[in-house]
Amino acid sequence: MRPPLAFGLAARELRSGVRGFRIFLACLALGVAAIAAAGSTAEAFRQGLASQAREILGGDLSFSAENRDFTDQERAAFDKLGVTTYAALARAMAQTPSGERRLVSLRGVDARFPLAGAVTLEGAPNLATALADRDGLPGAAVEPALLDRLHLKIGDRFEAGPITLVVRAKLISEPDGLSRGFSMAPRLLVRRDVLERSGLLAPGGLSGRAVRIALAPNQDPRAVRKAVQAALPDSHLRVRDRLDSAPGARRLIDQLEYFLGFIGLASLVAGGLGVAGAVSAYLSTREPAIAVLKALGAESGLIRDLHLIQIAALALLGVTIGLVVGALAPLVLGQLTGASLPIPALFKVYPWPLAKAGLFGMLAAAAFSLLPLARARATPPSALFRRAPKARLPLGFETLGAALSGAGLAALAVATAPTPLAAAIMIAGVMVAFGLLAVLGRSAAWLAGRVRGLTRGLAKLGLANLAGPRSAARTASPAIGLGVALLACVVLIQSALLAQVSDVAPRTAPAMIFTEIPGDRVAAFDAAVAGVTGPLHADAYLRMPFATGRIIALKGKPIDTKTIKASERWAFDNDLSLSLLAREPNNAGVVAGRWWSANDAGPPKVALSAEIAQAADLKVGDTITVLVLGREIEARIAVLRKVDFGGFGPNFNLIFTPATLEGAELRSVAIARLSRGQEAALTRSLGEAFPGVNVISIREQLDAAAALFDRLALAVRGAAGVAGLAGLLVLVGAIAAGARARAREAATLKVLGAVRGQILLAYVIEYGAVGLIAGAAGVLLGFAAAWPVVVKVFEASWSVDWSGVLALLAGATGLATLGGLIAASLALSQRPAPVLRGE
Amino acid sequence: MSDDPSPPAPPLALSAVALTLPSAAGPVNILRGVDLTVNAGERVAVVGPSGSGKSSLIAVAAGLEDPTAGAARLFGQDLATLNEDGRARLRRGRAALVFQSFHLLPNMTAEENVATPLEIAGADDALATARDWLGRVGLSARLTHYPHQLSGGEQQRVALARALAARPALLFADEPTGNLDSVSATSVADLMFNLVAEVGAALVMVTHDQALATRADRIVRMADGRIAS
Repeated sequence: MRPPLAFGLAARELRSGVRGFRIFLACLALGVAAIAAAGSTAEAFRQGLASQAREILGGDLSFSAENRDFTDQERAAFDKLGVTTYAALARAMAQTPSGERRLVSLRGVDARFPLAGAVTLEGAPNLATALADRDGLPGAAVEPALLDRLHLKIGDRFEAGPITLVVRAKLISEPDGLSRGFSMAPRLLVRRDVLERSGLLAPGGLSGRAVRIALAPNQDPRAVRKAVQAALPDSHLRVRDRLDSAPGARRLIDQLEYFLGFIGLASLVAGGLGVAGAVSAYLSTREPAIAVLKALGAESGLIRDLHLIQIAALALLGVTIGLVVGALAPLVLGQLTGASLPIPALFKVYPWPLAKAGLFGMLAAAAFSLLPLARARATPPSALFRRAPKARLPLGFETLGAALSGAGLAALAVATAPTPLAAAIMIAGVMVAFGLLAVLGRSAAWLAGRVRGLTRGLAKLGLANLAGPRSAARTASPAIGLGVALLACVVLIQSALLAQVSDVAPRTAPAMIFTEIPGDRVAAFDAAVAGVTGPLHADAYLRMPFATGRIIALKGKPIDTKTIKASERWAFDNDLSLSLLAREPNNAGVVAGRWWSANDAGPPKVALSAEIAQAADLKVGDTITVLVLGREIEARIAVLRKVDFGGFGPNFNLIFTPATLEGAELRSVAIARLSRGQEAALTRSLGEAFPGVNVISIREQLDAAAALFDRLALAVRGAAGVAGLAGLLVLVGAIAAGARARAREAATLKVLGAVRGQILLAYVIEYGAVGLIAGAAGVLLGFAAAWPVVVKVFEASWSVDWSGVLALLAGATGLATLGGLIAASLALSQRPAPVLRGE
Repeated sequence: MSDDPSPPAPPLALSAVALTLPSAAGPVNILRGVDLTVNAGERVAVVGPSGSGKSSLIAVAAGLEDPTAGAARLFGQDLATLNEDGRARLRRGRAALVFQSFHLLPNMTAEENVATPLEIAGADDALATARDWLGRVGLSARLTHYPHQLSGGEQQRVALARALAARPALLFADEPTGNLDSVSATSVADLMFNLVAEVGAALVMVTHDQALATRADRIVRMADGRIAS
């Protein structure tokens, strides 16, 4: 019976070890380890978030209202559900006695805070002590970053808007800090009653109220949430439950997993050439044995089964090595990072990410091993007597299997991605890039064959080898090129975004934003700014009325957010900034409709962000209903406009006709372009005349973003380097596969009178050319992939980090040349006589 | 300039050459004190049973293998005083080899294979010379063929052209017809003897073929690593 015989023969052959399969194992293990590590780490973060969901939210349920207090009806509904803690939120300028000023985020909490988790403080035994009145002044717990910035220490007095506070503790962490997301202003904790009395929560400003609720253990937060929303249909509160406690962090983890997993997949594809090369090299050594077996009566099916079993067993070994490394790497990461991670994580072995990585590995092994197997199976028995011409690739089990495995690999990658369309585009990109690199490799080999006639001696040998059947241009250059392309893409995207943040944005974006400018003192505010900057010009100073509002209905019907794409839902889940303008401003970015006349007193009209309109399928002439200052306003869309949030202009998603909020006492915001010196002077001078005006330094935010980019850059490039490593492995595999032939060649050349230096030079020419071709092609492909991401997705200016690109090119050429030197050294290290005798 | 120049050194002089190689079963004595001198233009056939050390004798004589003891002089130069590169330079254009299994460079065409040693030696007209020599061995129509596109006999003729194109003073041939059918073997042997005579080279030829050996000026018989007669 065939299977037992095939197994027996395969077992006999495997006894000789895996020496020829090291590259095969390494290529598979590397890709699988990367995918498994990415999946396991992401799962550890997901489980960490789930296990601390209650602490992250600060309770089981959270409701929040923007720019208003809860109504009595709402409070009554909350208080019935369980234990509650109410908080008030506001922003204000903190100012020290020495005159230093900084925007801060104040959180006023009650005595029951926190319901879940704990506040970590330094300098006070507990929160109640830290926030208590002492000597007639309330205490505050302050983030260390703010203390450093304002040169404050525990015991110092400072102002936060109209409130005088004393630093009583350093605020190291809040239990629900992660659910708060990114904040432009450092945090202060004070007592809620202190904030309530301050006037900072007055309508029209940027303030909020939140309640956290601890439910009884047997209550389902989702069910309770639905019941409350049904009972309060007109409240338009923002709701979260512990099952959805940190959506931003979750999204980040999903994206991170996919990015790292994608790199792992690209490594598998690049390493696939190493797999194919190793299998081909092994099977070519088996050709005499295959011919003998056929001469002895073996059918080709037995030949196939015998080798398929061996390859499958070795693939299983490679995948297992990868899974072990991929499972252990996050555990080691957990041990090394300890509690310093920003997101809680539960590091342990998770079966699903490992199963997924294992499946990727086996599919890649099949996709890349089956074609060489098909060719080997076609070896005729006459190979015993003469060197047979290379067998044609027979169509059959192996070719079909390879095609299905390749398709399965792509399908699995798309199916397990958070955004399948993006995944499909990325995978198609990798396939196209790989195809182009393979064509380029063959073209380079062809060209080398043509131009070698122009050269002499050893240079000709280098080019002849480049053109030959075992040319590294065909095998290693697509793999190296793919690795370089991924690295180049990452480097170019990062450098362009960093340039946007550190070079472009400071020139195009406003340097400062001023909020909470009292509506009745706008002229005085303009004068105060002009006092520092000189006469005001529209291209350097813009002041507009400001409010926030939430879109609650589209074309007269309440919003069903489920019908809106998840990526755009934010615009309908949150309050949006809005303004009122009579005349069309500079840089309005109108893409559809016409601006209203300056004295329009008719029914409300709105200029809406085109992005939001597209998400909700809205056109000029449709109506939207917006809840502003407690009033439901139905407005007709008169204009759709592209809002450039990075530019200097009216950056509001909604701009209404002035008549829309006739009579409302609105505050204003202003933006200004200022030098660093003017920025500091204005911040100080406004402290006296307009202590309630909040000042936000965009320059400071950009600096912080640039610093964050820098920290991320190394980690992301390191991850992308895994694909580069796969390319290097394939090169090593190509060198190893050709080692015997190289040794023979070097021995023959010595016989013909060539000295070591000449042979080294020939190999350096050959491999250096491979590196240069692969590197240049990889860089070009990296450009092609990075440009649309930078310009279309991030809408940033295109700029190129030439030093990074040149470093990559030099790295690829240098590593390949090093490969050539190693190949030559291996070949030259053997004495010619034994090599020639062994033929 | 001396009035009585000393006679030129013979192309090859081996003196008490021994070669011991390691093996899994312990050291193996391949050559056990071989003395052999080959004079200019002399054709020497080395015969003997398998394992008697014939091919190793060529390897040591051509400087491909270091002897364990004794001295090997090529064109009067003690090979022990040269490193591998020095030996390669010494062989350039003066000593050539032909192997049983041809050892052509697989990625090079026939004419490129022949031209390569000439180019390594710095010849200007390497390709023209290569074409000329391939014509002499009857392969004008195979100039751009790769080794795998040639028959065994054709490959050995390319190897012969490659060896003799530089008009060396000494040709080593290790079983030059060992891998060929009888028709090809005769043709290659005729070609080799004719061309060696034409360039005036000395020949050291290892062979199992008694008929081929008898065409040499002298036959050296080896047995158990020694010259028996």
